[in-house]
Amino acid sequence: MTDALVSLRGIVKHFGELVAIHDATLDIKPGEVHALVGENGAGKSTLMNILYGLLPPTSGAVVLRGKPVSFGGPAEAIAAGIGMVHQHFKLAPSFTVAENIILGAEPALSGGRLDLRTAERDTGDLSQRFGLDLDPRAIVSTLPVGLRQRVEILKALYRQAEILILDEPTAVLTPQETAELFITMRSLAKSGRSVVFITHKLREVLAVSDRISVMRQGRIVSTLDNSEVTADQIASLMVGRTVLLRVAKTEAKPRGGPTLEISNLSVSGDRGTPAVEDLSLTVRPGEIVGLAGVQGNGQDELVESIAGIRRSTAGRIAICGTVPTVGDPVASRRAGLAYVPADRAHVGLSLQSSIWENMAVGHLSAFRKGPFLAAAAARRRCRELIKRFDIRGAGEMTPAGALSGGNQQKVQLARELTRDARLIIAEQPSQGVDIGAIESIHRLLVAMRDEGRAVFVISADLDELMSLCDRLLVIYRGRIVGDIAAADADVEEIGRLMGGSNTDDQAPTRQEAHA
Amino acid sequence: MTDRAAPRPHPVLPRLLRAVGPPLFALVVSFGLGGLLMAVLGKNPFTVYAVLLVGSLSGWPNLAVTLQLTTPLIFTGLAVAIAFRSGIWNIGVEGQMLMGALAAGIVGYAAPLPDWAMVPACLLAALAGGAAWAAIPALLRAYIGVNELVLCLMLNPIALLLTGYVSARVLKAPGPTNKLPDVVDAARLANFSLYSQLNTGIFIALACCALMALFNNGTVRGFEWKLIGLNARFANYGGIRVRRNVIGVMLVSGAIGGLAGAEQVLGVYGAFYDNFSPGYGFDGIAVAMLANSSPIGVLFSAFLFGALNSGSSVLQMELGISKYLVQVLQFIVVLILAARFTFSWRGWRRPLVASAPAVTLPMTLPAEQGTTEA
Ligand SMILES: Nc1ncnc2c1ncn2[C@@H]1O[C@H](COP(=O)(O)OP(=O)(O)OP(=O)(O)O)[C@@H](O)[C@H]1O
Ligand SMILES: [Mg+2]
Repeated sequence: MTDALVSLRGIVKHFGELVAIHDATLDIKPGEVHALVGENGAGKSTLMNILYGLLPPTSGAVVLRGKPVSFGGPAEAIAAGIGMVHQHFKLAPSFTVAENIILGAEPALSGGRLDLRTAERDTGDLSQRFGLDLDPRAIVSTLPVGLRQRVEILKALYRQAEILILDEPTAVLTPQETAELFITMRSLAKSGRSVVFITHKLREVLAVSDRISVMRQGRIVSTLDNSEVTADQIASLMVGRTVLLRVAKTEAKPRGGPTLEISNLSVSGDRGTPAVEDLSLTVRPGEIVGLAGVQGNGQDELVESIAGIRRSTAGRIAICGTVPTVGDPVASRRAGLAYVPADRAHVGLSLQSSIWENMAVGHLSAFRKGPFLAAAAARRRCRELIKRFDIRGAGEMTPAGALSGGNQQKVQLARELTRDARLIIAEQPSQGVDIGAIESIHRLLVAMRDEGRAVFVISADLDELMSLCDRLLVIYRGRIVGDIAAADADVEEIGRLMGGSNTDDQAPTRQEAHA
Repeated sequence: MTDRAAPRPHPVLPRLLRAVGPPLFALVVSFGLGGLLMAVLGKNPFTVYAVLLVGSLSGWPNLAVTLQLTTPLIFTGLAVAIAFRSGIWNIGVEGQMLMGALAAGIVGYAAPLPDWAMVPACLLAALAGGAAWAAIPALLRAYIGVNELVLCLMLNPIALLLTGYVSARVLKAPGPTNKLPDVVDAARLANFSLYSQLNTGIFIALACCALMALFNNGTVRGFEWKLIGLNARFANYGGIRVRRNVIGVMLVSGAIGGLAGAEQVLGVYGAFYDNFSPGYGFDGIAVAMLANSSPIGVLFSAFLFGALNSGSSVLQMELGISKYLVQVLQFIVVLILAARFTFSWRGWRRPLVASAPAVTLPMTLPAEQGTTEA
């Protein structure tokens, strides 16, 4: 193909014995948004890391503008006009937006002094040109995720990227932020650049891409024009079977006293400012309650204080009728909590430890023989869970960090959902997980509900909440501003509540304040 | 699709290679650099290495000296390693060793105990002395949030001055030397070599190695400590009491450091002498790094450092080369290993290698800071 800006030809990548990429061939045309979809562990991130020069291919060729190239590292790929935004951002949090953007490509004055003025001007120009509103002087750590992502994108554009790779950029975004990102992606394509977009959300694929490539087991199995496919078709190409895109469940039958009862809770955020204020809520056995809200409205602090990872300043949390010691994770767990955190890389997993070790944590009392650890039993159980949760590309001895993102998520889900807990708190349960696995995770959560457990789900994905939950709570600035039965829920109304428009207080949300 | 089958658990040989490879690499490079240095100084590196090798290993007399010098390094290496593995830099082992030695020295001459109880009592005193000295940074760190690295570093000279004061003023033995009175014969660890001060303390050291290997790989506590070292936030989230365990790690580490002192007092000198240590506690840091915190590795690296130290005196006698040359070699090893830690962090997209202590101190727990504020 002569009209391709870049093509990957017959790429093969081995990790030891594992063949991660298996003869993958992909053409990216100039001016297109190219979606790359596939199951967890299909090899999407690996393939793009090869294009970006982070990983050397075992064999195969990268052909850029008709010439074969071989990148020794990302620096060479960047110089050739390739930019990539990873799912875990790589920004320096204490630097300003402008400083982050120029980092590594600093404009210099005579004598090697840093030309910050130019940097700020360039950053401003760039963000205007692409409609990416950003204050060049804002400190990155104070920005919400959506804006941090803009910094990453601008950073790539500042380096004259012609091809921009976005690895699951929407996994952490709110619907509003996602919509803004799509506008940016379209305008980039219009200016002749190419965007490669990895996602698990088929609605997004259809909304924004020109062409769609489906990866399966290390191969590109097909590349299609957006106009010729439906979501169901993509799903079955990815998974090899038809997938239920909506949760099938019966009416909830909550019964008995509350499993989680929070009254008048106040919690401070990292900077000592109140994050949760005088908040009360209950979750009863046999129901799935969802917490909707724009990120940064106190969700993290609320969940962390239930889990005992953060201390509350006032109020009371009761789990199954007992009040665990404030700020003690052990007590919360004993009271009957299982918790799937959103930050799996730092809180929910030890990436350097093997899968069995990750799965044994929180279950240690079952594998204790006096002072000794029954490692063989723990490994055996881990093998069972790997099978049951369909964790791919791994044995029980593999370090968790070698798994693909979605499979890492399954490891922490497997560990927490197999705890004998009355209360399950799941933050972003399907983050980075492919549609087939989402289906089974949702089915599992519904089954746990039907057994009479209480399930509390926190997610940025409103679609997920609406289809999974029985009742929706909306959080705004640390308070619950809406409590709606999911059956009567209406996206518009929830969106309004999330934006705070039903409260008397009309001050801008954190996000608007920074924009 | 057979080619995509899940990888089997790694076979033993490659695993061994991966564990042993980096330290061997560091050794080869540092010996190479050391050789270059000697060549620049006008010595033939091959002669120097030959003298080192013969001087430390050939014949029982030389070997006995090497083993004598290995023994304290096993203790201090283990003390540092057990802390490393939990992500804590206990660089205060030197001070903990001195306090252990002082405790053993006092009990060894002053305790009115039956003969059979003397050695156990001295060892217990040493364990307690080392642990007590380690408790200072452990508790201050856990409850007030003082940086343990700085504290440990400051506590080392304080321990030296304190033990010096006790042995020169308070409990000084009559005579010109600053020392405590000799320990009673029943408190001595039997010496079994004519040519050196090699004593039964080496068996205690070997037993400690074995116990620690068992502890690390076989017990729940050992599992928890490793997890704290790899990711303290995860451990805390998962229901492991991080603060309490970190104090425990420091106490155990200090106690093992104290044993190093007991071996010197009961086995080598027969009394507490002021300023007896040539820096065994500091060498322990290098030993633990080279061993990648594995107790079996400590055995080998302590032996290597012991051999270098014992060979170095021969070097001085035979070739007139300063024994500090050997220290330079040891420093290069440490530098290369330190570089490897940073490299392994940069080199991988996803961290795969469980290399020793994280460079940032994971004792800092967000939740725990919250607790201390409130
Ligand atoms: N550094 C590594 N070492 C060993 N195996 C790896 C490594 N990186 C990836 N793999 C394996 O390669 C395969 C492909 O992983 P990759 O991360 O590309 O998947 P993915 O398609 O991005 O999945 P996800 O949607 O879950 O992010 C997986 O089986 C994974 O376990
Ligand atoms: Mg991925």
